Amino acid sequence: MALDYRKCAEEIYSHLGGKENIVSAAHCATRLRLVIADNSKLDIEALENVDGVKGLFDSNGQLQLIIGTGTVNKVYDEFLAVTGLTAATKADVKAAAASRMPLWKKILKTPGDVFVPILPAIVAAGLMMGLVEAIPKFWPAFGASDWYSFLDLVANTAFALLPVLVAISAARVFGGNIFLGAVIGLMMVHPALINAWTVGNYAAGTIPTWKLFFFNVQQVGYQGHVIPVILAVLLMSTVEKWLHKKVPEMIDLFVTPLCTVQITSFITFTIIGPIFSVLENWVLTGAKWLAGSLPGATVMGAIYPLTVVMGLHHMYNVIEAGMISQTGLNTWMPIASAANFAQFGACLAVALKVKNQKTKSVALPSSLSASLGITEPAIFGINFRFMKPFICGMIGGAVGSLFGALFKLGAPVYGVTGIPAIPAVNNVPLYLVELLISAGVAFALTSVIWKEDAPKEAAPAPVEEPEEAGPMPSVIRCAAGELLQPCKGIVIPQEEIPDDTFAEGILGQGIGIKPSEGIVYAPFDGMVTSVFDTKHAITLEKDGMEVLIHVGINTVNMNGEGFEAFVEDDTEVKAGQKLLRFDTDAIHKAGYDDTVVVLLTNSDDMEDVECGLKA
Amino acid sequence: MKSFEYTITDPVGIHARPAGLLVKKIKEFAGSTVTIEKGDEAVNALKLMALMKMGIKQGDAITVKVEGGDEDAVAAAVEEFLKANL
Repeated sequence: MALDYRKCAEEIYSHLGGKENIVSAAHCATRLRLVIADNSKLDIEALENVDGVKGLFDSNGQLQLIIGTGTVNKVYDEFLAVTGLTAATKADVKAAAASRMPLWKKILKTPGDVFVPILPAIVAAGLMMGLVEAIPKFWPAFGASDWYSFLDLVANTAFALLPVLVAISAARVFGGNIFLGAVIGLMMVHPALINAWTVGNYAAGTIPTWKLFFFNVQQVGYQGHVIPVILAVLLMSTVEKWLHKKVPEMIDLFVTPLCTVQITSFITFTIIGPIFSVLENWVLTGAKWLAGSLPGATVMGAIYPLTVVMGLHHMYNVIEAGMISQTGLNTWMPIASAANFAQFGACLAVALKVKNQKTKSVALPSSLSASLGITEPAIFGINFRFMKPFICGMIGGAVGSLFGALFKLGAPVYGVTGIPAIPAVNNVPLYLVELLISAGVAFALTSVIWKEDAPKEAAPAPVEEPEEAGPMPSVIRCAAGELLQPCKGIVIPQEEIPDDTFAEGILGQGIGIKPSEGIVYAPFDGMVTSVFDTKHAITLEKDGMEVLIHVGINTVNMNGEGFEAFVEDDTEVKAGQKLLRFDTDAIHKAGYDDTVVVLLTNSDDMEDVECGLKA
Repeated sequence: MKSFEYTITDPVGIHARPAGLLVKKIKEFAGSTVTIEKGDEAVNALKLMALMKMGIKQGDAITVKVEGGDEDAVAAAVEEFLKANL
């Protein structure tokens, strides 16, 4: 059973001896960390028995309650709500940093935050859907088979009901209850509503409506939508959190979800929905007008992916159907194909260039799926997240569209783009050229402009460098665990470190390493707690062991020159993973010693600490 | 409780070594709890990692709070240490 965070927080609070006794509250990856004024007022035994508290200890004036990864932050949020304390530490700093982030940046970041967790569900499905739906274009008999209809159902489930996935993920991002989020998502694609993909088939005025107060609400679902769903869930989470605070505990479980869902659904259908249908109509009118001219087609090719991000692209079938009934030729398709194929090109460039294996494993299938006309995984999973590939894709789309419009490409069918559209187009060779141009421009631009991580100063000479340390011996051991040697070189005893502070153990017990390679690797599977601004030192934590790895002596004065960090604060790392790179020559040139100092900074609190290589 | 403000003058701020020395100094006063605040952040001055993580730099104003024990004497000693080293 999931832990009731609020109950857990309230119980903890009740055993702390009152609000005055809590000086400050913070949390790390696993623990709630409280600074307590008077420990004698604590009910330690009762605290240990609180459901959700896996253990507790008192360390250096901090009462640390072990709660667990992924849970502690929730309990902490509730704890703040219950006690009325304000977040006083790193969480606060981060929140402050986030709130200093300009609004437009925060808005752009949200779809990515929402989409990343659902990528496993949509990347493979998108690729499969593209393949399954492409086959009948080349082999019509397959389209009539049972296998086709079965495989298509399996593949498109995630897309047909995408708002549900988006809603659940958004609820997590905004801190709402994910089950209520699911309800909102499900409601927006409820079978009783007209499917948004087919609403175009209804003549004006025949779409059933509800009359709610003075609102006339069209009974249309939100299939294929993303932004309205995110907005609805944002609203839901806000309402839910507010109600949690106001509603008395006794009736909270009943009243809060009920009111949350009611209020959210009403506002979604009466305000968010209509605003989007107005927007959709504008986009539709604008798109139709743009598609009619050469410069217009170029612009449309560029902004097409933006309409995908907004979830407005599902309306385009109407334009295509209209074109076919008027002229017999769908000239919209080349625009959409150029735009989609350019996103494929951009995503492929990322896939080939990126070093991060996780990103690579998302980017590759996503790009293939985009080449088949399903661009959501590529856009949300990769291009839009990194932004530059997305913009490169827009440029590629514009160039490709211009080419398509110039040669009056088109097809007598609608609903397909990219490779699956090949059999239908009026001029296959030119269409292939168009795809090549779109993807090529996007690919080339992305390859040149987009860089992984922070932009590096002057590309360093390509040195063959291992991604991982390989097997390393253990250099520090204590009851809580062991540290592997984090840097290749000669291990020296702590007393021989050429610096008194480090050598005397003021910062904790440890060892020194005379480095033979300028790379620091993670000494264990754990958490990076802090990377110094000057990138010459890093702190990590695992099972209560706090570790400082400090490269060189007095190297703080180099201000980061010659240092590079591969990780950020609060990153989980695996033993042997690269953390920092440093240039030993630069350290020598600057006149400093390059000894890498590895210290267990809380060795005083640890038992059976042993340093050095095992005999 | 006794508290005072101090502005860091050391060019590299409260970095690993000075932080270690500060923690060592404060460990001498077992009876007192010393808290260092910068902006909205507050850490127990015995927590080396937390202290370093605050990233206190030259020109930053910090507030030092001493609770328990001989507050006046401890505050004076800490202030003297800061002036001498930071």
